Amino acid sequence: MTLLITRARIASENSPDLVTGDVLISDGKIQQIGQNLSAPEGARTIDARNRILAPGMFDAHVHFREPGFEAKETIASGTEAAINGGITGVVMMPNTRPAIDSATVVANVLDIARRTARIPVYTSGCVTKDRHGKEMAGIDGMRALGVKMLTDDGDTTGDPAILLRAMQYATEFGMFFASHCEVPELAGPRALNEGVVSYRLGIKGSPACAEEIIIDRDIRLAHAAGAHIHIQHVSSKLGMETIRWWKQRGDVKVTAEVSPHHLLFTDEHIGDFDTNYKMNPPLRTQADNDGLLQGLLDGVFDLIATDHAPHTPFEKSQDFITAPNGITGMDTALVSLYHHFVATGKFGWDLIVKRYSAEPRRLMGLPAVSIQVGQPADLILFDTDAETTFTKDFMKSKSQNTPFIDQTLKGRVDLVVLGKEILLER
Amino acid sequence: MARKDLLDIAALDREEIEHLLDQSIPFKELFTRSVKKVPALKGKSVLMLFYEPSTRTHSSFEVAAKRLSADVTNFDVAHSSITKGESVRETVETLQAMRTDYIIVRHGRSGLPGMIAKMAKASVINAGDGSHAHPTQALLDAFTLKEKFPDSTGKKVLIIGDILHSRVARSTSTILKKLGVDVAYLGPGSLVPRTGPENIRRFTDYKAAMAWSPDVVYLLRVQMERQDVQYFPSLREYHRLYGISDARLEEIRQRGLYIMHPGPVNRGVELCDAVMDYERSLINDQVENGIAVRMAVLYWLKPGSVD
Repeated sequence: MTLLITRARIASENSPDLVTGDVLISDGKIQQIGQNLSAPEGARTIDARNRILAPGMFDAHVHFREPGFEAKETIASGTEAAINGGITGVVMMPNTRPAIDSATVVANVLDIARRTARIPVYTSGCVTKDRHGKEMAGIDGMRALGVKMLTDDGDTTGDPAILLRAMQYATEFGMFFASHCEVPELAGPRALNEGVVSYRLGIKGSPACAEEIIIDRDIRLAHAAGAHIHIQHVSSKLGMETIRWWKQRGDVKVTAEVSPHHLLFTDEHIGDFDTNYKMNPPLRTQADNDGLLQGLLDGVFDLIATDHAPHTPFEKSQDFITAPNGITGMDTALVSLYHHFVATGKFGWDLIVKRYSAEPRRLMGLPAVSIQVGQPADLILFDTDAETTFTKDFMKSKSQNTPFIDQTLKGRVDLVVLGKEILLER
Repeated sequence: MARKDLLDIAALDREEIEHLLDQSIPFKELFTRSVKKVPALKGKSVLMLFYEPSTRTHSSFEVAAKRLSADVTNFDVAHSSITKGESVRETVETLQAMRTDYIIVRHGRSGLPGMIAKMAKASVINAGDGSHAHPTQALLDAFTLKEKFPDSTGKKVLIIGDILHSRVARSTSTILKKLGVDVAYLGPGSLVPRTGPENIRRFTDYKAAMAWSPDVVYLLRVQMERQDVQYFPSLREYHRLYGISDARLEEIRQRGLYIMHPGPVNRGVELCDAVMDYERSLINDQVENGIAVRMAVLYWLKPGSVD
């Protein structure tokens, strides 16, 4: 396939300015970038006037539910949702059934991905067996199959002693740790911020300190062990400040992520028990959202990740306490970030490329992709003049548990190219 | 405006509340007659779906429905397939197929009656959900208060107890504020949240609360069953700090205050025996008025078409 994309506005992580140019792609690589390039014989030309050409996004925090919960999502449907949202690489979380805690399960997951996914799928592995926080998982076996990230995501590794020893052990293999942060005794089983809304709804809330304590605990453990700690889906301003403080000290390797929903929604959106706003960590207050956005602008957050967490309509139609935690994110993430932040001037395409494409790849030890000659073709076209309506039919995820359901937002992913293939074209 | 469901007092405006309280008066007058029944809901079916044990609220609704000539069925939760793992959703679909007109539901999980209301064509009345709401309790409390203070504006009600876990505190304070009543909470610092209650004075000291000069002291049941962890050291300590002892009852008598309680009472915890015989105790009025306001609610709601 030879493809000439003309008059695109090219985005990069280094500058908010978009550079208009033509991009020639063949053999799965970017061959030439310039003005008024002529199409080689047999090449297909796409007039991309006014559209954004950006590297493919990379989501370092997704739940694909396979094996074990295929009614919610499979690796096939999850990766199609990713492509639908302009994402060309993902990192799976290990809370499947069985949990991804051994070489056997890792091999199984990667095999399913090889057969059913059109984009690269990476998987994290558990810190502890079955995420129970008691015994270490099969760390070296998983490492041999390429696992880099260890996490008990969905839960905190309860016992700090075992986490410390796992850090001392696995750091020697070049692995790093990702933490879902909450003190279970404080958080309770219910994903709802403690505050005005939890009082009104009569559901015991989870205070922000439940999360902040473990953010600090796990960074301290990494500090003691000389490990790299990645803090997942930070939801509170004080949690962000905690990470900022440690980053400023500079004597521990700490990275962190923020999710679009924690930037966009507050617990007030839950209204009358709307389970599409139930996730863990929970939505907090506008002051937290403002703090998180500032953290993203300041680079406290290295990356944006969705925590894509599909659940069936039946599960989410239960009462707020019973319904499971989590919302889907991959079909909607890029468009929602464009609509709410880029179109409103809060940040530019450079931040999106850096935080949702380049840095998540670097976290996983992968080279960042960019629109430059010699780079692999891993790119998307995004139309800022078009709109996307997130209907049930539009979504490629098996589940539609998202606050964006049936909303119309500015922006549309028009084209996804990976290597020699066009994965999506609208 | 006709409503299908009564889930939460917060959804009602003052006009609707006053309408319901006014409508309760003729129903209460009925109770002094030899025949206490009217044919208003003849041929209608009322289904009681109580997932939590309840004696007062359950029988109050049952008596109310029967005095309106409705047919009442108890859905026996303890012996039903619910204990075999049937989801609430499937239960509601079953009830729907029975073409019931009213579902009166009590459940330990906040928000569950609202979920049922979305699925069911029948009118759903929330008879208490978790720590969320208990709208008919609020109506009967307001009715009882207005019998003593026809113009309730500016009156002061002090609610004492476990505010954090109490659906009664939430719903009753909401209705009282809508009627212009001043509300304050008194209880242990761990059970009277600092954030959440809006426009409600917060006390943790009994003397300070009494210095606020309430007209009514409203005692809540100390609900050990809703406490997942310990919130205060012992019931003895609770009684010493917040319970109505003989000495405190004497002070209440001298000030001429009314006492209310949603029942059932814990003698020796939130109150002493003598409170039950106190001449300004409204506890039995609350029980009687509960039937009247529940009749008014059943009469007022308009079920969707169940045909």
